[in-house]
Amino acid sequence: MRPSEMAAGNGDSRSRSIRMKESWRAGDRSQAARLLIGLLVILAVVTFVASIMTGAADASLGNLLRWLTGTETAEQALSLRDRIIILDIRLPRAVLGLLVGAALAVSGAVMQGLFRNPLADPGLVGVSSGASLGAVLIIVLGSNLFGPVFAVFGFYTLPIAAFFGGLGTTLLLYRIATRSGQTSVATMLLAGIALAALAGAITGVLIFVADDQQLRDLTFWGLGSLAGASWTKVLAAAPIIVLSLLVVPFLARGLNALTLGEAAAFHMGVPVQRLKNVAIVSVAAATGASVAVSGGIGFVGIVVPHVIRLVIGPDHRFLLPASALLGGTLLIFADMIARTIVPPAELPIGIITAFAGAPFFLWILLRGRSHMGL
Amino acid sequence: MIKVSNLSVRLSGKQVLHGVELEALAGKLTAIVGPNGSGKTTTLRAIAGEASYDGSVSINGYNIASLKPWELALKRAVLPQATVISFPFTVREIVRMGLAVGANTHPEEIDRIAQEALEAVDLAGFAGRFYQELSGGEQQRVQLARALCQIWEPVRNGEPAFLLLDEPVSSLDIRHQLTIMRLARNFCSRGGGVIAIMHDLNLTAMFADHMVMMKNGRVHAAGRPQEVMTDAVMENVFGCPMRVNATPTDAVPFVLPHTADA
Repeated sequence: MRPSEMAAGNGDSRSRSIRMKESWRAGDRSQAARLLIGLLVILAVVTFVASIMTGAADASLGNLLRWLTGTETAEQALSLRDRIIILDIRLPRAVLGLLVGAALAVSGAVMQGLFRNPLADPGLVGVSSGASLGAVLIIVLGSNLFGPVFAVFGFYTLPIAAFFGGLGTTLLLYRIATRSGQTSVATMLLAGIALAALAGAITGVLIFVADDQQLRDLTFWGLGSLAGASWTKVLAAAPIIVLSLLVVPFLARGLNALTLGEAAAFHMGVPVQRLKNVAIVSVAAATGASVAVSGGIGFVGIVVPHVIRLVIGPDHRFLLPASALLGGTLLIFADMIARTIVPPAELPIGIITAFAGAPFFLWILLRGRSHMGL
Repeated sequence: MIKVSNLSVRLSGKQVLHGVELEALAGKLTAIVGPNGSGKTTTLRAIAGEASYDGSVSINGYNIASLKPWELALKRAVLPQATVISFPFTVREIVRMGLAVGANTHPEEIDRIAQEALEAVDLAGFAGRFYQELSGGEQQRVQLARALCQIWEPVRNGEPAFLLLDEPVSSLDIRHQLTIMRLARNFCSRGGGVIAIMHDLNLTAMFADHMVMMKNGRVHAAGRPQEVMTDAVMENVFGCPMRVNATPTDAVPFVLPHTADA
């Protein structure tokens, strides 16, 4: 018998206090949230290992474990070919998937908190398009116009350009969609379409003047893929993504308060303007770095935070880390599908996330439109 | 004490407040009353520190313009008119947000304070409910509980805290109107201060110590309700002639809309 039923049976003060306590715990989802985060850590590790073992070429679990646990050196446990496949192809790819997935999901969650709306997402509102534009600009005009920039920043040039592209779009979007502290969802989505179209048009012009080699490089942006993963790309994206992910936990309390509106957040002691600035810069950085190394992978930023909110609620202290974990896991998983579903060819991962994400987005829209101001 | 001197505010080019003077003492319930568009909310927003203004606003001698948001948050809490949220927070989670501010609470007491705040607004069993599923009046009381949590101690380190309430009883039934007004009075009697924007003149007369009557962005009259609520002031400020009466025993003024000549 549950304590509440016991309390209903007799009215003495002790069981009443139990009932009070239980009804009070009813609104607390922090325990569930901690449990979920624990489970997501395990899921992430399992998926990560699975993705290293999965692929067109065999790599036996036993060999891998013997190497991982240190009972045998890599040379003893694995053939040279397997070692290259695992260490130089699958491992960077899994790491990149984890980073990009976490970056996209957290960017989505932060943007939704910032715009106070569950439909905001870097991919949907044009931030990714802006970041792509930055990257395409570098690819096409890179060697001529930005030679000195390359000399200074090396392989960070592409992520940095994508960052500024994303930052510009986010700032513009916020300016357009927010008036006296209130963000209009309709304006945000429509302005996002317009900005994406504009960025797309400029990208189109660049594609028009691109040569054959550049065109090959560019095609990959349209679809989004982890196929080109390498340690160089990991090194290019990881510092930016990790840095922005490390900043994000400090935004959690402020984003919670912002849910009640900018004025209310200020009343509660949140330095709203600074919060918004930091949030916008970290979203642009994480999205920019992700786009630079993997192109436009859509819907991760909208699906993942929404699923997490359904389970543990919208408290950003738990939503942000849980989104990072699930986003990374989901992207590694989608990538496993992408590279095994039509062997030996690969499906661009963007197609898979769109197939899963677009119907999901429509579902959110239909289910929640009553209280989204639509 | 909250002291407002020579407060002027322009909103998109139009001057909406003209040299407003106002003093709200700790231990007193100050009501701001006036017709729609007379500048009540703008005044409260300036006092809260969220709007830009000319003139000066100080809390307990500190100029609010020189205080950081988190310093202000320990000196005053604000109840806005209505709050719409688009994420499924529970009542408990919303109320606890008020306790995430500053260093004014002990972590182990958060649950107790949040529960007491909910009981104070007569929402004891609502902790597990979703905010979005509550009625307007219930949502308003959740927000009040959240604001109460923020300045749970009416006097902290010898310094009074202030509750700024924008139409705290506008969407409440009569019983809860009385609950909330008594709660505000209780906050005052424990040493804090309250500034409330009110539309209900009779509740104002019943509960307010000090009444500020605004008209066209200026303070038209200020003082005890008995002094301010006169036939002449009523007609001048609201533009409709009314008879002000007084209750038999302790002479609290009241007006009945029945007496108004349209």
